[in-house]
Amino acid sequence: MSVTNTRGVNRRRFLSALAGSTAFPYLFRAESTRAAGLSGKITMIKGPHSADEAKYEAEIIDDFKKANPNADVDFTTYDWANMNAQLTAGFASGSPPDVEYLVDLVYPAYAERGLLQDMTTLVNDPSWKSEHDAIQPFAWELAKSSKGTWGVPVLGAVYNIFVNLDLLNAAGVANTWNKSYPDLMAAAKATTKGDTFGFSMRTRVSDYAFWDWFPYIHNAGADILNKDWTANGLAGAEDAMQFLIDLHKAGVTPPVGSVDWQGQFDLFKAGKIAIYHGETPEINDLLTTPPPFKWDVAYAPPGPKAQTVMGNFGILSIAAASKNKDLAWAFIKHWASGPEVGRFAGEVNLQVVRTDIVDKLYLDKPPMQKIQKDFVPRVKGVQPHPKILTMLQQIWPVAESAYLGSVTGKEAIAQMGEIINKLAA
Amino acid sequence: MEAATSPSHMTEEEHRRQRFWAAARHNLTAYIFLAPILIFFVVFMALPVVWLFYLSFQHDGILAPAQFAGLDNWRRTFSDGLVVKCIGNTLYYCVLAIPTVFVLGMIVALSLQGVRRGAALLRILIYFPTLQASLIVALIWTFMIHPDFGLLALSIRALTGVKVNFLGDPHFAMPTIAMIEVWKGLGFWSILFLSGLLALPSDLYHAAELDGAGSIRRFFSLTLPLMKPTFYFGVIFATIVNLQLFDSVFVLTDGGPVNSTATIAWYIYRSLFTFSDPGFGATLSFLLVIVVLALTALQTWLMRERTP
Repeated sequence: MSVTNTRGVNRRRFLSALAGSTAFPYLFRAESTRAAGLSGKITMIKGPHSADEAKYEAEIIDDFKKANPNADVDFTTYDWANMNAQLTAGFASGSPPDVEYLVDLVYPAYAERGLLQDMTTLVNDPSWKSEHDAIQPFAWELAKSSKGTWGVPVLGAVYNIFVNLDLLNAAGVANTWNKSYPDLMAAAKATTKGDTFGFSMRTRVSDYAFWDWFPYIHNAGADILNKDWTANGLAGAEDAMQFLIDLHKAGVTPPVGSVDWQGQFDLFKAGKIAIYHGETPEINDLLTTPPPFKWDVAYAPPGPKAQTVMGNFGILSIAAASKNKDLAWAFIKHWASGPEVGRFAGEVNLQVVRTDIVDKLYLDKPPMQKIQKDFVPRVKGVQPHPKILTMLQQIWPVAESAYLGSVTGKEAIAQMGEIINKLAA
Repeated sequence: MEAATSPSHMTEEEHRRQRFWAAARHNLTAYIFLAPILIFFVVFMALPVVWLFYLSFQHDGILAPAQFAGLDNWRRTFSDGLVVKCIGNTLYYCVLAIPTVFVLGMIVALSLQGVRRGAALLRILIYFPTLQASLIVALIWTFMIHPDFGLLALSIRALTGVKVNFLGDPHFAMPTIAMIEVWKGLGFWSILFLSGLLALPSDLYHAAELDGAGSIRRFFSLTLPLMKPTFYFGVIFATIVNLQLFDSVFVLTDGGPVNSTATIAWYIYRSLFTFSDPGFGATLSFLLVIVVLALTALQTWLMRERTP
């Protein structure tokens, strides 16, 4: 239609034609230039995974700004020890950061209160399908709670076991220690001598000790909650709990609560613990400053139902109060993309939940590669219930009491079950 | 002609009104100087307390809109076993820490009173731990009580052969925290008691010496009775502060092991930030206020009885 010939063309048709002619080239512009239409400023908050967190985030933001020159991202961190307090204050202020990195333990409580944007429609958009499918299904399950999907899973830390191969070899148990729980007990006893302990795991509530406890519970086919989250799901975990109590009573561990988690890692590095429950970021410490013994990573022996690994994962969420959700979503997609999350994970020594970049990660760090390829697929994570952190914090004194020998495994599981039932009601 | 407002021609009402405005004008300067702190007090202390009282009858109200809960939170407070444990732990800590720091503080103050050369330096050194942040103090003591290389742990093991699990044993955890807090507060109380001692009239001591009273007799018959006002203030102040114990617990034990170091202030923090239950946390805060007021009133009554 010629826009110069207005005879017989009314004003509405003329304006429509004019709009159409200006929109036509825009529709077929390249993706990057169309994305360059995104503008504005958003803020992101995350807990630091490295002393150089700001530097690594700046790399991600700079790459984002190359494709979106009119956009800007302000990055800030919360302190892990005060994560709950800082996030609560941020949400209560009414103007929280647009993008939050939230761990699986805490995001459900915020989601339940309507503080997070339900991203179900966003993550299931057909245009994002290939990216969605690159993220492992277990990770998407961790991001679902209260009938919504509350973020894009990006990173995680697996809680692996470290073994002192020299101590295990000297005791002749290097090939048998993780075949079964009795074998683990035998190995722990065989390697306990003088001031050297055969086994250690976290016991203090301040060390989030439940992460080391979970694999034994999961391996028994149990969990905090039952399938429909209406009551506790700990039935069947009594023997596993008793095994852990017996380990502590056998004198193969440091006295309960006497050494914090960092202290246990220090003892392991000094060659004073044979089998130590740790987490993957410690691998970098051991590779950078090798201890005077051979070591390896492992997971707990199989239980009656499974052989799982525990991990703690984080998602990138959008605050419901965000005033620029489009830009926030664009930034999350960028952050969660293969090149960006892969580079970041490599810099901070964490695991990714994408499957398409695994072969390219940690080529110079075999233990990390082993964790990524062999351990991550075994992860059974925490149930993202809004009160999961409350439940874990409130049942933990019972576990402490059990490790100290005050109650049996059966009694401990029963007491924990009652606490969980009250909170789940 | 007399003015209509001269006192002899004023009615009772006019006279009262005139007295009122005269007094108001007289106090105006004082009110102007007090206004900033009064505004600060009202905005940052009084109003939050009122809001806290309102929250104690609500569910949520911070991360989600408040929903009226009636007396639910208060009923929970009195039926929650952990609340009773927290109150018990807090009072246990006060019984351990307050008398200990008072006795040690008095010993240090009496020792400092007799020092002439280097007194100022000694006072600074003694006061130094009080100036440290709670986190630094906790970290220092984490090393001191470490079972394998801690100075205190090794000393006890060398003397007694016993390996003490300071923070891992429920029987030792709270006394350990009390020990750390006493170490931190000793400087403050020593200087406070020293200032009290230095303000005592010396002529009474001279008279007592002339009458043949020895140092121990002078201490019990003169020093202690004359220091009563300082002690009264100290006991009430120490009770109010120590009932709010939080820092050391949060850093060292997080309420464990087995809730043996869980205090009321710790449970308030947990309720608000971990359990996301601000209504319950607000109720516990009021419970703490009630406990503090009750104990303070009891102490004041007991000490007033004993004043001649």
